Amino acid sequence: MKPPPASNLINRVILLTLMLLVFTGTLGLGAVWMRQEISQTANRSRALEDRLTDAQRRLDELSAEVATAVNPRALLRQNETMRLALSTPRETQVQRVAVSAELKLVQKRNLEVFRVETASFASLNRPPEHRPLTVSLQ
Amino acid sequence: MSKGYANNRLTLLAVGVLACFLAVGVRLVFLHVVDREELLGYVDRARRQIVVEHARRGTILDSRGSLLATSRSEITLAVDPWALVEYLELDRNEARREAKAREQQAKRAQLAAILGMSVADIEKAFQPVMKQVRPSLDQKDGTADGLVKDRWTKLREGLDEPTFDRIAALNVRGLTHERIYRRTYPSGGLAANLIGYLNKEGTAVTGAERHFELYLKGEDGWIESEKDGARRELAQFRSREVPARDGHDVVLTIDSVVQHILEEELRTIAGKFNPHFATIIASEPRTGRILGMASYPSFDLNNYSKAPLDAQRNYAVTDIIEPGSTFKIVAAGAALDQGLVSPASAFDCGITSINFQGRDLKLPKEDHPFGTLTVAEIVSHSSNRGAAQLAMLMGAQKFYDYAKLYGFGATTGFQLGGEVRGILEPPSRWDGLTITRMPMGHAVAATPLQIHMAMSAIANGGALLRPQVIQEIRDADGRVVRRFDPEKRAQVVKPSTAALLARLLHGVVGPEGTADGFDIPGFEIAAKTGTTQKIIDGKYSNTHYVGSFIGFFPASRPEIVLSVIVDDAQVPDGKNYGRAVAAPSFKHVAEQLIQYLDIKPVQSYSRNLVAMQGGAL
Repeated sequence: MKPPPASNLINRVILLTLMLLVFTGTLGLGAVWMRQEISQTANRSRALEDRLTDAQRRLDELSAEVATAVNPRALLRQNETMRLALSTPRETQVQRVAVSAELKLVQKRNLEVFRVETASFASLNRPPEHRPLTVSLQ
Repeated sequence: MSKGYANNRLTLLAVGVLACFLAVGVRLVFLHVVDREELLGYVDRARRQIVVEHARRGTILDSRGSLLATSRSEITLAVDPWALVEYLELDRNEARREAKAREQQAKRAQLAAILGMSVADIEKAFQPVMKQVRPSLDQKDGTADGLVKDRWTKLREGLDEPTFDRIAALNVRGLTHERIYRRTYPSGGLAANLIGYLNKEGTAVTGAERHFELYLKGEDGWIESEKDGARRELAQFRSREVPARDGHDVVLTIDSVVQHILEEELRTIAGKFNPHFATIIASEPRTGRILGMASYPSFDLNNYSKAPLDAQRNYAVTDIIEPGSTFKIVAAGAALDQGLVSPASAFDCGITSINFQGRDLKLPKEDHPFGTLTVAEIVSHSSNRGAAQLAMLMGAQKFYDYAKLYGFGATTGFQLGGEVRGILEPPSRWDGLTITRMPMGHAVAATPLQIHMAMSAIANGGALLRPQVIQEIRDADGRVVRRFDPEKRAQVVKPSTAALLARLLHGVVGPEGTADGFDIPGFEIAAKTGTTQKIIDGKYSNTHYVGSFIGFFPASRPEIVLSVIVDDAQVPDGKNYGRAVAAPSFKHVAEQLIQYLDIKPVQSYSRNLVAMQGGAL
């Protein structure tokens, strides 16, 4: 059998070398792309962390401002500045309700609904203005 | 061209290429092997950085979640003038560079306006200068002449975030900043003696800040990474990262509104009587939780450096006083508890001396002359001789044992420290008259908190609790990591005795009592007045007194224990008795607490005594 000519062998070697170069180049470019992606992800991650920290810091700042604004002394000052004349109730001003306050309110409202003076024949053809309320007795 | 010549050229080219590769190889060997350490050191200095991440200190909250202490970020603004120079030098175009310089100058003028500084001062800060360093440290600019670029000129400290945001929006080249956390107290002086503070160096000095430092502090973290030429972190080169762990939050049992009520009352007392010191304590008898503990004088936590040291003391635990007549609950409670007497048992309180263990002892003076009094009257009239006879009835040792059980002579276990034990000597060290004087609250010394907790034991069915000022510890995510539950220290008297004594103490505000007129209808005030002569130069003074009013309400369903103690009140007529200086404040505070805490009046059908059932513990 006749051996293959030398040029064929050289061509194969060149082809293989080229393929190797392309492969290596692709690998290299892939590595560069990957590093770039890692870098971008790391920077994005850091930016998000910074935003989180910043949000937390602003939240703390706001909480401190709210606490300063609503502390008892500040509220009293507001009471004076705005002339609201709000004061702590005294025991003599307090009416303690022994029965359920909810039941009392419902009874009062229903009394108004079913009062004879407010009922009229003209209202028969239209829906009632008041809706009777019920409350479960617990 | 001959074939041999072509071969020679190829050989020459191959040798040249090989030589180049060899040179590259040799250089690589030098870089990676021979000069490795030196070069790595240079890279380390130039690029590697370790950034410390400061942990956020935990907050201190009241029982309703209101912020009492928190950390706010503050910015220190500085200038790196060389950064501006380098930024301008980057642009080779002369016209564009000048335009940039003018733009930056205009921004600096705006910066001056925001900071309230003169433009000249700002421009001076932006002048690039060199600073001297030790030549050994001068390795940054290549010449070891002992001069380096000064890249930090401080402009302003303590900037708040909104101001810094406005400055950052200007985008001034060369500005640099450092963010630090500074402790701030939104309520100013509220509960100052309890919360304590952090000094300028960030060291916790007193109060909850100091005693709960372990929880509040947190742990700093750090990041090891690299930086670029502009000193920005290259996040992709982070090699090690230890995250910071924020401090825990401490929740106190203090209620801001209750504390405010107490402090306002103290302000009134201070205005009226200008005392040496005064303190008011409010707590829940069934849990021992302190709802408010106020001291006069006090101070503003945000201006602690201006406060004298005396104002920073928590008088409720750091100072001792003779309890005076409030101590009579010991003799009365002990005698009733042992079944030696009943409320109706009568004693002759008109006598001036009495025989005790074979010796005639002189009995103490009374404020008013009394005849025969029952035990109930001894309590309501506050008879010194009656109390002495009750103590003698049980003997010195038993009386001492009961006083110890009430918590006198030992610390209460107050969680914020700084507490003193008080003085309660054993009978072996008593002189002949001590058995007649101690029952009226002389020859014994206690802190206001000890007296308060002793009264609280009566309100809690005889169970003495540890005062609770810390409710719980929460982590940064709000999860409870530690809860502080009520802690019983001793059973002082039987629950039935406590209930009986509560009823007798209600008589103090009755028509015959020493605090007539200080009851609140429907709320059964049970309390005891106390007036003690102060010891000045080793003698009992006739002009300096400690007036107190210690009690609880409602007597049959105790919900609040309240103590008002006023030391050395300046009263024009000299009558600085507990009734005159402390009882009015007690009543005023109680009326406000009833409304704020929605304490229901005692109804006739609910007069079953909680104390009789043994209280909470």
